[in-house]
Formats: sequence, structure tokens, C-alpha cells
Amino acid sequence: MKKFQNGRFLLFSVLLLFGFFCFTMASVESSWAQAQKKPAEAKPKPKPPAVPQKLIIAQGTDALTMDAHHVIDSPTASIMEHMVEPLLELTPQGEIVPKLAEKWEVSADATEFTIKIKKGIKFHDGEPLNAEAVKVNFDRRLDPKAATKFGFLVAQVASVAVVDEYTVKFKTKAPFAPMVSNLTHSTNGIQSPAALKKSWEKPVPQPVGTGPFIFKEWVPGNKLVMVRNDAYWGKKPTLTELTFRVIPDDASRVVALETGEVHAAVRIPPFDIPRLKANRKLTVVETPSVRTIYMGFNVLKEPFTDKRVRQALNYAVNKTAIVKHILGGVGRVSDAPISPGVFGYSPTMSYEYNVEKAKALLAEAGFPKGFETTLHPAVGRYYMDASVATAVAADLLKVGIKAEIKMMDWATYLPFILRDKEAVEHKLYVLGWGTVTGDADYGLFSLFHSGEWPKKGMAASFYKNEKADQLLEGGRKTANPEQRKKLYKEAMEIIMDDAPWLFLHSEVQITGVNAKVKGLVVHPTERIISKGASIE
Amino acid sequence: MEEIFDKAEKPKWSQSREVLHRLSKRITAMIGLVIVLIFLISAIFAPFLALHDPLEHSLGHMLAKPSWDYPLGRDELGRCILSRVIYGARISLLIGTMVISIGVLLGAPLGIISAYYGGKVDFIIQRFVDTMLAFPGILLALTLIAMLGVGLANVMIAVGISTIPIYARLARSSVLAIKSRQFVEASRSIGASNFKIILRHLLPNSLSPIIVQSTLHMATAILWAAGLGFLGLGINPPTPEWGAMLNGGRLYIRVAYHVATFPGLMIFITVLGFNLLGDGLRDALDPRLKT
Amino acid sequence: MTGQYIIRRLLIMLPVLLGVSLIIFIMVRIIPGDPSMVMAGPHATKDQVEQIRTQLGLDRHPVSQYFIFIGNLFRGDLGTSTRTSLPVTKEIMARLPNTLLLALASILIATVLGVLTGIIAGVKQNSKFDYLSMLVALFGLSMPVFWLGLMLMLLFSIHLGWLPAVGAESFKHLILPAITLGANSMAIIARMTRSSMLEVIRLDYIRTARAKGLKEKLVISRHALKNALIPVVTVIGLQTGTLLGGAVLTEIVFAWPGVGRLLVEAILARDYPVVQGVVLLVATMFIFVNLVVDILYAYLDPRIRYQ
Repeated sequence: MKKFQNGRFLLFSVLLLFGFFCFTMASVESSWAQAQKKPAEAKPKPKPPAVPQKLIIAQGTDALTMDAHHVIDSPTASIMEHMVEPLLELTPQGEIVPKLAEKWEVSADATEFTIKIKKGIKFHDGEPLNAEAVKVNFDRRLDPKAATKFGFLVAQVASVAVVDEYTVKFKTKAPFAPMVSNLTHSTNGIQSPAALKKSWEKPVPQPVGTGPFIFKEWVPGNKLVMVRNDAYWGKKPTLTELTFRVIPDDASRVVALETGEVHAAVRIPPFDIPRLKANRKLTVVETPSVRTIYMGFNVLKEPFTDKRVRQALNYAVNKTAIVKHILGGVGRVSDAPISPGVFGYSPTMSYEYNVEKAKALLAEAGFPKGFETTLHPAVGRYYMDASVATAVAADLLKVGIKAEIKMMDWATYLPFILRDKEAVEHKLYVLGWGTVTGDADYGLFSLFHSGEWPKKGMAASFYKNEKADQLLEGGRKTANPEQRKKLYKEAMEIIMDDAPWLFLHSEVQITGVNAKVKGLVVHPTERIISKGASIE
Repeated sequence: MEEIFDKAEKPKWSQSREVLHRLSKRITAMIGLVIVLIFLISAIFAPFLALHDPLEHSLGHMLAKPSWDYPLGRDELGRCILSRVIYGARISLLIGTMVISIGVLLGAPLGIISAYYGGKVDFIIQRFVDTMLAFPGILLALTLIAMLGVGLANVMIAVGISTIPIYARLARSSVLAIKSRQFVEASRSIGASNFKIILRHLLPNSLSPIIVQSTLHMATAILWAAGLGFLGLGINPPTPEWGAMLNGGRLYIRVAYHVATFPGLMIFITVLGFNLLGDGLRDALDPRLKT
Repeated sequence: MTGQYIIRRLLIMLPVLLGVSLIIFIMVRIIPGDPSMVMAGPHATKDQVEQIRTQLGLDRHPVSQYFIFIGNLFRGDLGTSTRTSLPVTKEIMARLPNTLLLALASILIATVLGVLTGIIAGVKQNSKFDYLSMLVALFGLSMPVFWLGLMLMLLFSIHLGWLPAVGAESFKHLILPAITLGANSMAIIARMTRSSMLEVIRLDYIRTARAKGLKEKLVISRHALKNALIPVVTVIGLQTGTLLGGAVLTEIVFAWPGVGRLLVEAILARDYPVVQGVVLLVATMFIFVNLVVDILYAYLDPRIRYQ
């Protein structure tokens, strides 16, 4: 009996030690750094003659759809673009180049867009790519019954016509220069007409495109596997297989990267960067994103009706410190409502951190002691968003503004923010906007044009400035790039001065990649492109 | 048998004095009591004990290691962790007591009534409990919080409601186990009313598992609040709540251990205190368990 | 008797399940938030949202929505996910085996270790073993799942390199999530077993047995154990449910593709059909577990009649 107990005693002493270890092991973090240099990688398999070209990428969320026309988020877009390609492509440098198109022409008044398609391309199901196939795709995009996503990208299209076997012509209802940019968007990907006709009103069960990879298997919540398209029209990928795995938790995703279970992991928390950089088995890729983070004012609500109050808040928040400390230096303080890499961007201005100026402006506006308000941030969407919102609120407290933070989950948040101006409750809200077509129209028109107020659109600041409206409309009416740039520059100057937002920062995507992987590209539109990748 | 009748006949005050007396003789219970008292003191006198404003941030000093001025270091926004931990006692006390109050006050009577009356009453109550229990663990709280919205009060209500069926079940099963014992039958045979039997015999005798469960729930409440926070449905910043602090510091665990470790230790020590005290109380309350 | 009892219990399941379906149906619709808005994406216009709402049938009267839901249910059709447009049954079946595996492994670990520890600690009250094991149990209780999971992952995957960190590819992948998920239940079961043991050991008949000069081991195993395990069985039953729920956090930490994660994602996206489907399924499983618990009850304690 005694012996029996002693044995158990030993076992549980060990268990206790382990439990204690769990709580205190964090204090030995420095020894981990050493362990990092020679991690015990569990790779018992004998090395095959050639390295298997099977790449695994970890993302935080699963694909939401297998139909390119139904994509609403960048993780899904990342996956889909390996299988389904659009007519035109936005390069990481922000240039628009042909993809499935051979070339394109725009009429001077920006109402006619003629596109020549490359010859000899076949869909994964063997169907040929031709003008008719493209027309079928856009017919579906325009058909309300099909209810495809991002409808406003094609909303200006009046007709799609087949000119000859390899030429299509888009006509828009009004001059619409951003049409070219919009054709680069994932939701305008070209899918096999045969597959579409079988599933016109419902999302197709699996993607059938022209891309370098062919759909193999989707295990919902777990992974999506695709294999190389040996008949690809362009340069064939080196990779034979490409897998996107879902690892929702940020910390776990980093661990999986470090253990070698995945080759690349997106959205690495900023504070892991130094450690990962110190790890010779890994590289960290930092790619500026076209996503701008801002705190919007509801300019219809007191006291944010007063421009001086809005400017005061812009001066009161230390944006540089937020970027430097909370984002670990990986981010960029906004100097315009859109970020570099977007067509039409130009550095406009930024409000420096100046508490005195903020206090003076507040006093001038009649709030020498500040006021109380509420802040509704979106949480769990952007890098360190909860910390950013908390820091903003804490900075505001220093000029006497008490902003009570009220979080909401995303599904509650959007309908809460996007209500008619009579019903809407929010005063301060934090959102991010990714200008994924790389055109200023997408980033400015939707958020600052007075015709885009909720519920119709997304302009939740309810900002209206007639001059700005005219300039933004002007940007749509001309196809001349220089002319457009000038118009947007002028519009942004007005917007920055009116300050319907507290301009915070634009994000930088942090991607961890195994050092053995070469040629992986992270696109500013938050997509990861592996068609040119290989494993050494 | 005599011993049990003795207990039932004794006036209340002498019984509670005896309990206190027995409690004071147990070292572990006293340790628990001391921990709980410290917890209560820091909760009540937080403004006098804290070294700094728990909300005052300084991004330049984020994640600073423990120092003389900041004995537990600074958190991800450069706030004083010690001060936040002290204020956090308040929040945790509030969460724990509210959650347990909701659970016990609504759950235990349901279970006792259900077991005592049996038949149709039992059937209906049990179907209700079954229905609630069908949302296991944190899921009911999760759905409720999605319904009520994020925030301290809503977290307490959601977690509290989802513990009701647990108490109901527990009370029912312990009443079922003692219902047919002689002393209950005896009371009934000498004409005691249902209410009296429930109050006199069933309630005290079903108390011990409920006490065990409540001490455990003091911890569970804090942990569930943290779990909801992990899912993005917790308590609004900048409230210094231990679970939220632990959750926030988790991201930095491999850069700055102290941010998550100290709130984690606080949770552990407090849980330990409540458990030791709870165990001691249970032993003291029930003379049959006297060693 | 027993057979009849089981059949009756199975019949009782029907109203409970209907109740569950009604409650969850009402709850998800009281929740503020709009699935059509989530589905349309952040850049959608009002018209598109309206169109999706019509497509999802959300413009119909809630009562008719409920009857459509129940009607389809009897045909084995749980509807279509608003998030992914996949049939709900397909979404669930892709993940259910993973969750069952995880929950089963966890409850096994928790029960075996928990009961064993509890018995020994109870029998040897105030011994070193008693104190130590209860301290360990408290660690298990006071560590949030998401914290423990990360710690285990850092220790076994990064530091030692013994076990994979994420995914559900092999048996090795099961170990860490199962321990993480089971730790809390193990602690609860150990504590419950101990206190129940303490209570029983002091009952008259055990004293009598001891007084009769029966060997301690025999007294414990033959007499005390059976009675002490009655409340423990309840707790294990309850824990099984808690595990299915707790699986949510564990599944997120270890990227385990199970229904718990599916449910959270669905709640957050207001994916009504998936929420309804998963909750109904989990409810059904849970009620079965409870049935088993109640039968065990009666077996262990003959004083409890099949009422």
C-alpha cells in the first residue's frame, strides 16, 4: 500500500513540476532564443533525391467560397487567384498589365473598353477561352439573379459585346475610367462558361479557371489543396502541389511556421518579427498594404460637426508612437486618405502630434475641458486593432476627451455603423479600407462622396463637401491619367483639411516564410502569390 | 441516528459558532481565508493601494520589465501591471460573485424542487434544464453574449445564466441521494411541511456539493470571461480585468513574460484561496466529515 | 423495466430537441447583426444586401422560416450555410469526426486520471499525495484553455520538438489538444471524486465494514467506491458536454478542424442554418450521454428507481 502510494506520489510530483513549468516557463524566454538556433526538427524521413515541391501556406481563415465571382475577402482571393485569373493584372508595383488579355484600349471619353484576349488558352475543364466565354462571365456578374459579390465594380457596365472570337467590348453607362482597374479584381476572374452555366445562380462547387493550379480538394476548416496545371498557358510553376491551411490563432500560426509544419504564414504579430528574423531558418517579408486604418467621425453628430474639434483630435493622437510601439514600427503614418501604391496617391499632409494645439482648438470650439463621447472600434480585423483603439482613447483622455470604448463583433458592427443618417448612433468608429483595385476611385469615392452615405454606401462619416464631390466625379470622367492624378490630389487636400477622419496609419503585411522557399510574392492587395515559388 | 437528530434540533447560532471554531482549526482553510481576505482588501481599497493610474499609458515604455517604480513591469500599452492587477481584483470579485449568485440563486432551488417533488414538476424542470444543458459549456454564454453584446455586465449575465443548469443538476442529484435517507423520512413522518423539510434537511445537505462547485466557479467565471475575450467577445478595454490582461499579454509571452504571467498568477492564487476556503468550509459545515 | 425506461427517455428527447431548436432559432434571430450584410461583404451596397436577404429567405416571416426549417429537418435537410453556400450537413460532417475524436480522447484522459487521483487523494486525506494532487488539480482549473494550449505547444512543439503543433493529420496531432481540453475536466473530476470519497468513507456502513475487520483495499473497492462514484458520474456526464463546448477554444488554438470552431465562426458570421444545425447535433449527442449517465446512476445506486 505504501509502495503503491509512493509511486503515485512520484508521478504527481512530476506532474506538478510540469504544471509549475507551464506557469513560469515564460521566464526562461531567453533560453528559447538559444534553442531557436538549433531547433529539434522532427524530420525522421530519409531525404529523397529531389526536394518535393509541395508548398504549404497558413492563413487565419478558411476559404469562404469556391466561386471567384463570390469572393469577398482577401484570404479567399489569395487562394482563388491561383486557379482563376482576371483579364488584367495589378502588379505588386501598382501597374496594370494584361493577364488573360493581350491588350486593351479605352475610348477618350472613358465609356468604351475594348479588350483583346490571348489565343490558345484553355480552362481546366478543356473549354476554350474566347470572347464568348468572357461575355458569359460578365453576363453572370451583371445578372441580379446570380447575386455575385462586389457588384459595384461592374455596376457601371451597360453592355458586354463579342466583337470577334478574341475581342470583347465593354460599354459603360457613364464615363468610368476606373473600369480598367476594376477588371483586375478577383471577383472579375474568368471561369469556365460550362461550369458557370451549370451553377448560374449558386456559387460553383469548385473553381474551374485558367490558372497555374487546378483544384484538388477542399477540407472545410482545415485545408485546400491544388495541383499544378501542366497545361498552363504561361510559365509553368515549379511547385507540384500547393496547400492553404487554416490556423486561426496568431500565436499558433507562428509556432507552426517555426516548427516547419508550414512553409509560410501570413499576418505575423509585429512583436514576433525580431525573434523570427533572428531565426536563420526563416525570413520575414514586410509588404506595404493598400489598407488604410482610420478613426472616422460622424460629422452629423455634435461636437464633431465642428471642423476644429475634428482637427483637434487629429493633433491629440500620437500616431507615430502607435506605429512605432504598438505596430512594432511596421506600418506607416497616413499622409493621405489612401496609401502609397494606389494610383492617384500623393503625399498630402499629416497632423503632427501636438497636445497644445489640440487643446487650443478645442477651447476655440468651446470645449476647453474636453467632453465625453463613445468610440466603437472594429476589433479582431486589423493588426493590433484593440490596442490601437485603446491607445487612441488614452491619448484623447490627455486633452480631456473621455471616449468610452464599446467593442462589437464584426457581424454586429457593420450593420450598426451602416445605417441611415437618422438612425445611426455611432460618433467615433475605427475601420480599415483596402483599396484593392489600386485605384484612388475605389478608396476615395466610396468613403467621401456624399452620394455614398449609408445605407447606400460605406461613407459612414456622412461627410459632404461639394467641391470634393465634383473632383471625385471628375476622376471618373476622364481617361487621362495625369488629369486624374491632379483631380485626386486636389480632392485629398480638401479632405485632409476638413478632417472627417482621424487619419491613423496604413498597414504593412508581415509574412513569415521558410528560408528554403524562394520566389513567394506578397501583393500589396493582401494576396500571397506562389506561382513562381520553389522549395530548395 | 441520534447524532443526525441532534444536529437538526440545535439552534442556529451555536451551529455557526461551531462551524467557525472548526474552521479556525484547519491550517489550509486559514491560508485560504487569508488569501481571500487579501483579495477582498485589494478589491475594496484598490485606489489606495495602486501605485499608478491603471489606465495611464505610455507607449514608449511598453513591455518594460519589472522595476522599482513598476514592481510587476508595464503592459503592452506601458501601463503599470501591479496597479492593474490590484484594480483587477475588483472586477474579478464582481464577476465571480455575480456569476455565482445568478447560478446558485436560480439553479439550486430549481434542482431541489425538482428532486423533492418528483413527478410532473421534476419532468418539466428537467426538460428545461436539459434544454439549457444542451448548449454545453461556454457555448450558451457565447450565444448569449453575441445576443447581449460585449461588455462587463453582459459577460456576467451570460456566464451566470449558463451556469444555472449545472447548479440545478447538482442540487437535484444530491437531494435525490439523501431524499430517501431515514432522517428525511422521519421528519416527514412526524408531519413536517415540505417547505420545512427542504429548508431544514435538503438544502443544508445539498449544500456541500454546491459549495464545492461555487468555489470552482469563482475560477471558471474569470476563465470564461477570459475565454470570451479570446474569441473577441469579452470585456471592453481598457478595463483592467485579469482574464483580459492574460489574453492581451498572451501575444507577447515570448517577448515579455511578465505581461501575461502576473495576471495569470493572480487568477491562480485567488482560485487557490477560494478553493482552500471552500474545502475547509465544507469540512467544517458537515460534522460527519470531521477527521 | 430498463428497456421501457430507455425507450421513454428516447421519447423525452423529442420535446427537448424541439425546445432546443426553437430556443436557438429565436436566439440567433434576436442577436443583432445581419447575415446578409456579412455575406455581401464590407464593400457591398444596400441593393446587393437586400438581394442576398431575399435569396436567403430572411425576408420571410420568422414563423414561416421556422416551419420551413423544421419541415426540412425531417427530410434530413439542415439547409445551406449562408457563409459558404454549402449544405449544412456537409459542413458538419466534414468536421464532426474530428471533434468526436478529440472529445473522446479528452474525456478518457480526464476520467482515468481524475478518478484515480481523486480516489487516492480521498483515501489518503491530508497526505502529501493529497495536497500535491489537489494543487495540481488547481493548476488545471486556473489555467485558461487558450493559455495552457499555447504553453504546451511551446514546450512540446518548439522547445522539445516532439509533437506537431497544429492540424489533425495523425495520432500525434491529437495528443496536445486532448491534454489541453481534458486538463480542466480532469481537475474537476479529481476534486469531485475526492470529496465524494471523503463523504462516503465516513458513512456508517463503511465504518461497519472496517469494524468487521475487512481489509482496507476491499472496503474501498467493494463498498466505498461504488457509492462515491455516483456524483462523479454526473460530473463526468456534465464534463462531456463541457468538453464539446470547450473544444471551441482548443480547436482554435490547435487549428483542429472541428464543429466547435465551425459554431463560433457561424455565430460570429450570423450563419443561422449552421448555428442551428450544430447546436441541434450537439444537443442530441449530449442528451444521449446523459441517458447513459442516468442508466449508470441507477446501476450504481439501486435506491434511485427509474422514475
